Amino acid sequence: MNSRCKEIRKEILKISHASGHGHIPSSFSVIEILYAIYDTIKHNPDEPLWEGRDVFILSKGHASLAHYCILAEFGYFDLKKVYTVGSFMSNFGCHADRLKVPGIEASTGSLGHGIGLAVGIAKAFKIKKTDRRVFVVIGDGEANEGSVWEAVMVAANLRLDNLTIIYDNNMSHLRGLQIHNPAEKFKAFGCEIAEVNGHDIDALKNEIVKKASVIRAIIAHTKKGFGSKTLIANHYQWHRKSPNDSELEELMKELDEETV
Amino acid sequence: MRRQFRDTITDLAGHDEKIILLFGDISVYLFNEFKARYPDRFYNIGICENTIISIGAGLSSQGFFPFIHTITPFITERSFEYIKLDLCYNQFGGNILSCGASFDYAWDGATHHSYTDLAILRLLPNIEIIQPGSGKELDILLRSQYNNGKTSYFRLSDHPHNIDIPVRFGKGVVLKDSGSKITVMTAGPILGNVEEASKDLNVNLVYFHTIKPIDKDLIRRFKNTEIVVIHDAFGLYEAVCEVGNLSVSYYGMTDGFCSSYGTVHDARKKLGLDIGSIRKKVKDKIKKFSKS
Repeated sequence: MNSRCKEIRKEILKISHASGHGHIPSSFSVIEILYAIYDTIKHNPDEPLWEGRDVFILSKGHASLAHYCILAEFGYFDLKKVYTVGSFMSNFGCHADRLKVPGIEASTGSLGHGIGLAVGIAKAFKIKKTDRRVFVVIGDGEANEGSVWEAVMVAANLRLDNLTIIYDNNMSHLRGLQIHNPAEKFKAFGCEIAEVNGHDIDALKNEIVKKASVIRAIIAHTKKGFGSKTLIANHYQWHRKSPNDSELEELMKELDEETV
Repeated sequence: MRRQFRDTITDLAGHDEKIILLFGDISVYLFNEFKARYPDRFYNIGICENTIISIGAGLSSQGFFPFIHTITPFITERSFEYIKLDLCYNQFGGNILSCGASFDYAWDGATHHSYTDLAILRLLPNIEIIQPGSGKELDILLRSQYNNGKTSYFRLSDHPHNIDIPVRFGKGVVLKDSGSKITVMTAGPILGNVEEASKDLNVNLVYFHTIKPIDKDLIRRFKNTEIVVIHDAFGLYEAVCEVGNLSVSYYGMTDGFCSSYGTVHDARKKLGLDIGSIRKKVKDKIKKFSKS
């Protein structure tokens, strides 16, 4: 595991322990994806609204703790601020607010909105004839929402080659409406597809930089709770659970030992 | 009113490159000339009301002024949460122009009847609710509101009234103040019937084209009168009631689907919103109130 991503996971555990908030398994599945995105796209932490930036939207908004920690890692704000997450006066909610947190492009939380927003932004860039790009991360459970597929169809129809969807295939969907063979589904909807180990930063970056003549969908195969055997084995139980003192100690130990 | 939409937006687009039209596979033929003139600014997105709202919000986030246009119940009732979150909560303002108000599509049945849009959308923060009664009102209000950064909902109808009224956003209009102790309040195209039904009756008549923000100051002017809201939709009555400490009653929609077909005039008659029925209702009110 990338050492920075391990440290970010530890911070997530500590923040969740301190605040009592956060979706840890869902956050752990996207750490490398978010790291690879921010390490690749054009952005400026000193000027979050810089006109030349690429745009990233975390559509599976409940992984906000991962997003906050990645933004702090890349210099958008001091990580200490994130320890207030979920408290009444905090700027850091369990779902992010674009008007409160630098680097957040859209307030998300309700599933099925991110791709549609991204389609509008990508179309705006086309109209402006700029080479800026748009990236959006959705979850596999989120792909239950019909609006996901509406938006993909429109993106393909508008030939938005500046839009890339990263599909966090962390198997959330297994308990409910199952999404069998997502790569084939995205392909059938008009996307160029790639499949990648969603915990391999280099492999992710290699796919993120690529462009095609159509919308791209990167199927990132991940694990909920990646880095901890306890979280992986019990991710339903840990969906929105925060560790107590002894659990924190044990989970930190598992991360150090890289038990998965 | 859709033709007025076309004419106004064609004129505005000539001066404002940020105007982008997003259509839900309706009125497309009507805008052929616009599309030919501005191919990068007209998109028939397709029949996907949730996504068309999100796309409008995305365009808005990059400084454009989206105009989202499709059929009333689908773009309001089906897309309510997308309007709430993508446009209103995110403060990515845009314009929604619906068509098929109330019973404009009476013949299509209850799936196409639409009378909740004003009532549900006015509950959202960061939104303006506009029900123009005529093409002229639409022209004035569209020009004044489209680029103010907020979300503006315009409810277009194929059956406008033909009364020439000076309008200004957010301001109600007193069409008749006869010092009566009864005040009839209405909004949008149904004014045509209400005005005709009550023109020789001893009532005050107040008209609204802006449902949110409602002109509370104007309503308070009539707080000592018996107010009767006559409207072919929900929303105006609730807005008037928010002023508080008023004596208000409502005449219009009932708690039931309109399961008949026919024309808008048939539907209005069934609901008692034809000229004769409205007149009888207002006369009954006058009679009742004069006895009390």
